[in-house]
Amino acid sequence: MLEKKSLPCLLRPAPVVYLVAMCRAVPVNDLLDRASQRSDKMHSLSTLLTQEMDSHFPPYGRMQMPRPADCHTSALQTPNDKEQALQVSESDLMSLARSLLQAWVDPLAVLSTSAITLPHPSKSSISSKIQELQEHSKSLADGLDILSGKMGPSAQAISFLPYTGGTDLGQDRVTILNKFNFLLSCLRRDSHKIDSFLKVLRCRAAKLQPELC
Amino acid sequence: MYNARMRTHLGLVILCVLSAARVCSSTSAPESPRKFDCRSREKETFSCWWEPGSDGGLPTEYRLFYTQERLREVRECPDYVSAGANSCFFDKKHTSIWAEYTMTVVATNALGNASEEFRITDVMEYVKPDPPVNVTVVVNSSAPSPFLEIRWKSPPDVDVRTGWVTLKYELRVKQNDSKEWKTVDIGSETFFNFYNVYPGLLYMAQVRCKLDHGKWSEWSNTIFAEIPKNHQVEKYFWIFVFVFSLIPLLMGIYILLLKRNVVKQCLLPPVPGPKIKGLNAHLLKSGRSEDVVNALMGNQNFPPVAAWTEQVEDFLLVSDSDEWLLTDSFASEKKKDIFIIPAGLHLGLEIQCRDLSVDLNTWEKTDDSKEEAKSNFLNTEPINLPVEKHEFLNGEEMSIQPLANTSYVDIQQHPTLTDYSRVKEVNDNTILILNEEEIPHGLDAEEVKSEVSVPDDYSRVKEVNSDVVFLEKGDSTDGCCKKKEDHYTDWTNQKPIMPLESELSKGFCLKMIASGYVDSGPAFSVK
Repeated sequence: MLEKKSLPCLLRPAPVVYLVAMCRAVPVNDLLDRASQRSDKMHSLSTLLTQEMDSHFPPYGRMQMPRPADCHTSALQTPNDKEQALQVSESDLMSLARSLLQAWVDPLAVLSTSAITLPHPSKSSISSKIQELQEHSKSLADGLDILSGKMGPSAQAISFLPYTGGTDLGQDRVTILNKFNFLLSCLRRDSHKIDSFLKVLRCRAAKLQPELC
Repeated sequence: MYNARMRTHLGLVILCVLSAARVCSSTSAPESPRKFDCRSREKETFSCWWEPGSDGGLPTEYRLFYTQERLREVRECPDYVSAGANSCFFDKKHTSIWAEYTMTVVATNALGNASEEFRITDVMEYVKPDPPVNVTVVVNSSAPSPFLEIRWKSPPDVDVRTGWVTLKYELRVKQNDSKEWKTVDIGSETFFNFYNVYPGLLYMAQVRCKLDHGKWSEWSNTIFAEIPKNHQVEKYFWIFVFVFSLIPLLMGIYILLLKRNVVKQCLLPPVPGPKIKGLNAHLLKSGRSEDVVNALMGNQNFPPVAAWTEQVEDFLLVSDSDEWLLTDSFASEKKKDIFIIPAGLHLGLEIQCRDLSVDLNTWEKTDDSKEEAKSNFLNTEPINLPVEKHEFLNGEEMSIQPLANTSYVDIQQHPTLTDYSRVKEVNDNTILILNEEEIPHGLDAEEVKSEVSVPDDYSRVKEVNSDVVFLEKGDSTDGCCKKKEDHYTDWTNQKPIMPLESELSKGFCLKMIASGYVDSGPAFSVK
């Protein structure tokens, strides 16, 4: 069995001969490009979700809405502007992206189950988008696992950000919708963070190909 | 003293009046500002504006204080000027993406202040870039059809080189006099080739962009482009090419037509059809049933005259007595001319079938009449007629002219003799074939007008008397002749190929030549 380091390949373990003959290492640039495309899609979906929610349910009130600081991922220290982002190392950027992605596995499941019974006229559209988000999230996580394997141990560290909101969004319609809205806004922010970090990584890895930026 | 008190009262009254007037012209504390809005052009800085409320008639000062999500301290707006009046500009140092801002705008005047709090959940919600710049369009007139090459540049303050910002563009094009725009999603490229244009029309195009799934920018400046009309030269060129390419094609077709037979031979080689020996396809095509029947049935045995007569023996009436001489007997019976005409012979003659045919029929019908016939005509040994091969040339014209006196049948033929080995003497037109035993009595040089085909085998010729060849009995007709050999009607056909029925024989008459020469015909069927 070949070591993963010497022959980075996305194929499952296979006979050596087959690996040598068929396996062709996918360059990091290409992997990052694919990953950033998926994160872009995720961000787009979450943006559409918030817009769809707002079209029929205006925010209850800015003051009474939970603050973004209350997002379960807000504890994670992330760069907040361009200078900071450009100074973070690639491994740290990858680690941040992976941590955020991992943190949304459970909440997405909660959102998915809640969307089916959501007291909202567009609940079917919302539900399908959330399912799509889950799929993209899963595949992106797999891809980032492989990418981080090439970047060193610091890239593979994941910060643990548990979701403590429980499986139930509330009892009454207003509470449910509020919570749903709040979670979607948190998701939109975090998906944008993931997208931005990966795109910075992609551009940095493609120094010789500025068109990828 | 009284004047001083009056003046004070007057001053107070004036002051009261004035102060009252001031109150009527609304001097009060300012109202809180309304309508707060922000905008970020490049995801690095942002500005916010507020709409001031009533200022209470007094100069009012507005100040903005903000807190960030993570910062505990309250900060004041760093720049009130750059973004215009009633605005606050946050530069790069003071801008945090994904961070919540809580803005508090305070309006202060001499009489009081008012404040309002605004929350910016995420600066990203307010991102709206400037429109693209340097939009250019070039008409590309290359074949096969013209198209528009549209190019632009990203807004100047957006940094696209670091990956921090992702711009996506949108293009729209329409005809000058149309109302419908055609919109195209571009992605991140800064050029596009628009093909859906037609010559002679004026088009206008605009581009806009969005940053990171944020809001769309305004549309860029409109650019115009006119597609020139088709060049005549190009048209003529293509017409020329088309015509010249037709010439070899037409030549090829012409050559094919000229040599169509050759081509036909090549492509469709004639398939050899089945051949039945002796069967003439043209005969079938002509469609005459008579001919068809003749051809089918009599083919092998009844080719034209010659072939048939090959098979048929030449019937000769032989007698050594005058009595027998047909000429006399027949002549006496007024049958001077007897024609035996073969089946395939197209003579167009009238066959005079008279009593003779009946007689002939009776001959063959009855065996008993053998002797009778024999006795009538023969008083010699039975005649075994050799098989003769008369080869009447097909199609040979036989002109039979009944002679006035002698009822001669003038049959002019040119038979061919296959076997000349026995020819003893040739006298005029008569060929005599003899063997040793036989001594012709003499050959009358009387011409036999009928150059009938000479039989192959004259071995049995006993005597030739005035064109009558006397035959001896021989073995020539062995088993081949299934006939009554001793019958006068021993005009056998050695080869029993003749399928002629007796009916056929009725159709034929026997016309005896005055000299007694009989030209045999298929009068008597061979069974």
